[in-house]
Amino acid sequence: MKRHIYLRSALALVLASFAVSAQEDPNPNSPVPILVAGSDAERILVREAAPTFRQQHGRELTVLYPSAESSVISYIRGIEPRENEGANSVRVFLKQRSGKTFELEVQELRRISKSEFALNFRLFDRSGFRGQPAADGDSLIYVSWRGNASNMLKIGLGSTGGIEIPKVTRPAGITSTDAEYVGYRFAGDRKRFAEQAAFGPSPILDMRLRRIGLRTWLAEQFEAPYPTFAYPNPPQSPTNPPMDCSLSTFPHCYRERYTMIPLQRWFFTEALYGDAQLRHRTAWSLSQIWVTSGLTVQQSSHAIAYHKVLSENAFGNYRQLMYDMTLNPAMGHYLDMVRSTRANPNENFPREILQLFSIGLYELYPDGRPRLGQNGQPIPTYDQETVNSFTKVLTGWTYCNITCENSSPGIVNYKDPMILNPANHDLSAKTLLQYPNAPHPIIPACENCTDPEQIRNYAEQSLNTALDNIFHHPNLGPFIGKLMIQQMVTSDPSPAYVERVAAVFNGETGSPRGDMKALLRAILLDPEARGDAKSDPRYGKLREPVQLITNLARIFPALDFNGENRSDGALASYANLMGQNPFNSPTVFNYFSPDYNVPGTTILAPEFELLNTNTSTRRTNFLHTLIFDGLTPNATDSLRGTSLTFGEFLPAAEADPSGGMLLDALNVRMMHGRMHSGQRDAILKAVVAVPITNPTLRIKTAVYLIAVSSAYQIQR
Amino acid sequence: MTISRRRFLAHAGAGLTMAGLVSGPQPFGLMSALAQSPSGDEPQDYRALVCIYFNGGNDGNNTIVPLHSDQSVSGYDHYFQARGPRGLALSQKSLLPIAVPRIGGSAYGLHPAFGTVANGINPGLHPLWGTGTMAVVSGVGPLMMPITRAQFQADPSVRPRNLFSHTDQTQQHHHSRADAVMLSGWGGRIADKMTIGSNPNRLVPTVSSVVGPRLFAVGENEQPLSIGPAPTPLSSIFSLTGYNGTPIANARLAALEAQLLVENGQDMVEASNSIQSEALRISRTLNSANEVSVVFPATDLGNQLKQIARMIKARSSLRVNRQVFYCSLDGFDTHNGQLLGQQGLLTHFSQASRAFYDEMAAQGIADKVTQFTLTDFNRTFDPAGTGANVGSDHGWANHQFVIGGAVTASDFYGINSSNGTPFPTLVNNGPDDADFGTGARGRWIPTASVEQYAGTLARWFGLSQADMPFVFPNIGNFPVTDLGFMTNA
Repeated sequence: MKRHIYLRSALALVLASFAVSAQEDPNPNSPVPILVAGSDAERILVREAAPTFRQQHGRELTVLYPSAESSVISYIRGIEPRENEGANSVRVFLKQRSGKTFELEVQELRRISKSEFALNFRLFDRSGFRGQPAADGDSLIYVSWRGNASNMLKIGLGSTGGIEIPKVTRPAGITSTDAEYVGYRFAGDRKRFAEQAAFGPSPILDMRLRRIGLRTWLAEQFEAPYPTFAYPNPPQSPTNPPMDCSLSTFPHCYRERYTMIPLQRWFFTEALYGDAQLRHRTAWSLSQIWVTSGLTVQQSSHAIAYHKVLSENAFGNYRQLMYDMTLNPAMGHYLDMVRSTRANPNENFPREILQLFSIGLYELYPDGRPRLGQNGQPIPTYDQETVNSFTKVLTGWTYCNITCENSSPGIVNYKDPMILNPANHDLSAKTLLQYPNAPHPIIPACENCTDPEQIRNYAEQSLNTALDNIFHHPNLGPFIGKLMIQQMVTSDPSPAYVERVAAVFNGETGSPRGDMKALLRAILLDPEARGDAKSDPRYGKLREPVQLITNLARIFPALDFNGENRSDGALASYANLMGQNPFNSPTVFNYFSPDYNVPGTTILAPEFELLNTNTSTRRTNFLHTLIFDGLTPNATDSLRGTSLTFGEFLPAAEADPSGGMLLDALNVRMMHGRMHSGQRDAILKAVVAVPITNPTLRIKTAVYLIAVSSAYQIQR
Repeated sequence: MTISRRRFLAHAGAGLTMAGLVSGPQPFGLMSALAQSPSGDEPQDYRALVCIYFNGGNDGNNTIVPLHSDQSVSGYDHYFQARGPRGLALSQKSLLPIAVPRIGGSAYGLHPAFGTVANGINPGLHPLWGTGTMAVVSGVGPLMMPITRAQFQADPSVRPRNLFSHTDQTQQHHHSRADAVMLSGWGGRIADKMTIGSNPNRLVPTVSSVVGPRLFAVGENEQPLSIGPAPTPLSSIFSLTGYNGTPIANARLAALEAQLLVENGQDMVEASNSIQSEALRISRTLNSANEVSVVFPATDLGNQLKQIARMIKARSSLRVNRQVFYCSLDGFDTHNGQLLGQQGLLTHFSQASRAFYDEMAAQGIADKVTQFTLTDFNRTFDPAGTGANVGSDHGWANHQFVIGGAVTASDFYGINSSNGTPFPTLVNNGPDDADFGTGARGRWIPTASVEQYAGTLARWFGLSQADMPFVFPNIGNFPVTDLGFMTNA
């Protein structure tokens, strides 16, 4: 009897643990691809592609000739593709003696045995941005899959010889120094996740992720109250600052109302200390797509109303975001829709909602690559006529200065959505985007429309028709999906990753089209995003100034200058010096372009648009001040200042005179446990130059050197 | 070209090393081995090109306005007819007259911001017209080949990519082609071809930008130096905080340099290392202030041009005979509020550009340094909106300014349109309008391509005829490759 009870409770335990484990995240680590070598162990095995690409391939080739027609086959082991994970999941890179790297066009990936795949590719770079590979002897070739790079082998182009495979020493590769027997134990992946989905791995967030795992954390975040710190609520003020709020005599009033400072301070406070990290981070990403700027948007109250549209829709549906943002007065002012009338139409917003906020300039494949027309050029998604039509649809909307909740005499209302002035709406027919199965490609004219109510209905219906017409364009998923991946995870995602995310966003996998939660899950839980370590040389992204600051301020919990209370979040001026003035983007094209390449290379790396010899020096100098001295208070925008705290690392610094324990602890916390041994050796020398009697200075020295290093500044 | 950049590019296996580059006694490492020659000499045959980019698309239609009433070409009446009723016309008496020899000495007017202005620190650019040191090139825009209005309307394939889009039209001005995307700009490609021959002993790259490596400044091989604007002293741009010579600081600096040498095979890490190494190297070169003597306006553009003037003053210690500079001014996308907005922006331009010209004159090289403008596009002749908020939308062909002692004469240059002058016919749906029909808004079709305009500057700068097609891939499509606004000296 008693035994039976034991059994039952044991069973219950098993069931309970099963229930838990069923929600547990899988092992995030994807296997590393292995490029098969030929008889010469250093050289790739390549065969002529048979015309039909059957299992029987042509003869083995040692010397190849690059051209658009040279289609060849090589072999990969180690990968475990899912169903539907096809040729566009593998990328082939060729490095030549010239220093140029080319991405070769992959044509097909086919399983030929239980563990081996044939890869058909052309010795041809589809983009051609840096020309084409030259037949100048041995080149180096490797493939990447899910953010992991294969071994590097030689491939003879035109002839052999002239190059050696570089000996790249591996990172020191400490994955963990603390025993982790329970929970989501992948310490490197946890840190990476906290960089992608939040503003950095604070100790508390890291512990939470470890306890409940990534999926449960996402579910928790979708319901988390936001914001943790109330939005500032400066009053809407007259366009001409009144005497009692003029910059010269009442600068405090002026700054609070007529600059972005309150929004910036709140933004950093929420990023550093807020609990609803994912919503805040998503809104920040969306603000770099649906850009407005304090250079034009006059008042903090206006920009805060705009930010609320982003944060309220961050976990909603993209179609609703499109609607709310189209009628948001700050956007209306920024891109002139509020002034667009049928007599004086303005193309600014209509052009950018197509080009930047939804579908982009070119027709895309579902994996985000441009379709090419017969002339080999990308195919435009629309022309000037289309812009003209959308312009007409969007005429007549203006501020709600009289009849809305926040209307107030003498003050322009940026809080309530714009309303229609029927007299200014264009009533003629419009031709919208044309594509297969396009809903409502044409809006008929409003015949005999004279009654204002009739025109209002027509305009509202036209607006929704036009937004539906954009929203259902097949580009939406790949275009927005890729932008969000670039914002959160990696600058140059594989086409397969974009395709997986786009399919979710386009509503092909069960969730509704445009579902933001599904989009975020797809981006953040994708195998290309996850894993303790990523070895693809092009994986990751440069930390933009804002996130360089927030990540450090969360790893080393930030306090005010005196180390007593919270920082006041007055950090925007520092980000500005490094090239990113939050909520004051220089143009609607954001702080950096999603298409930016590192100059002279084919490395797609948007945030690098902010990094140059000048700003890299400023980054290094800012980090020196932040880490060693703290940011001092000042009378204008920061009464409390900011400093980092390093107490957690004191025991490690004090216990080990060699500095090794300190470096190990920082490696786990800052570098995903992947610090290169060469870097570790270099930093240790600087650490031991500091007397052991000053452990805090030892910590600061190590933190500073890691933080300024490129290996840290690239979020991988 | 910088060694660290070359090292980065050559990472694949050429085996160049950066050892000694950032920590050795020779700040320029291998470069000195490439070029052993006497230092400190005044550069022979110095020349510089200074690109001033108007971000957003300057409204050329209000920058240069006909003042005459000659009915054979568009006069002030045509202009006022289209822009006056909507509140976008500048008054005839406010415009600053210039005589244009090419159009029979007819009077045209510069925007009033080009003259003496309230709180101005100099007389502005307008007086330079009288001294023959400012030229206007008209009808310039991205083109693949010369086209007529009929061809433009009939054949979409002759149109530049994504006409009227900011990003694309900006890129096309930067890289010079209208029919393809390029990842390098024409300033950078000039440096690709001329650096080794003209700047063999250089201590800095041929191209410098005050606003980061914009496409114009990026070459296929040569990469620009990014400097910060004044008031930061030239010698402080690259100086590092916190290194005071104590043993602890020295050890930290050694570690900072050593970790730049760690090769971990990661492309973006290497790219960032390359930029940081370059900054460290330059910090040891740009170590004196080279202060200028002329007063510059304390504006965004004024501070940029001031820093460029200091770089030019440092030319002999930097051992450069040819320099290309890039700076820019934001805010020209005047869909609304144009009258006030453009007044302010053109004032900034005129004041800063004039101060720069005067400083070059003070340095004795007014005829060796040429400023020129570029911008996304012109704006629609037809206004957008009305009243106080009136603005204009995206157009196409524009007027560009070229300033310096080496311009041929103060005149209009370019290729004639159907009206027999390079100045467009100011009529919506007229012979120069890309738009057609009743809704036509006056987006002028260029008669001269960016490549012809840029090619003329490049030829003066010393780019050989043989290298023209590399820098300007479509220049062969145009019968005239030199628009004549630069002297041949």
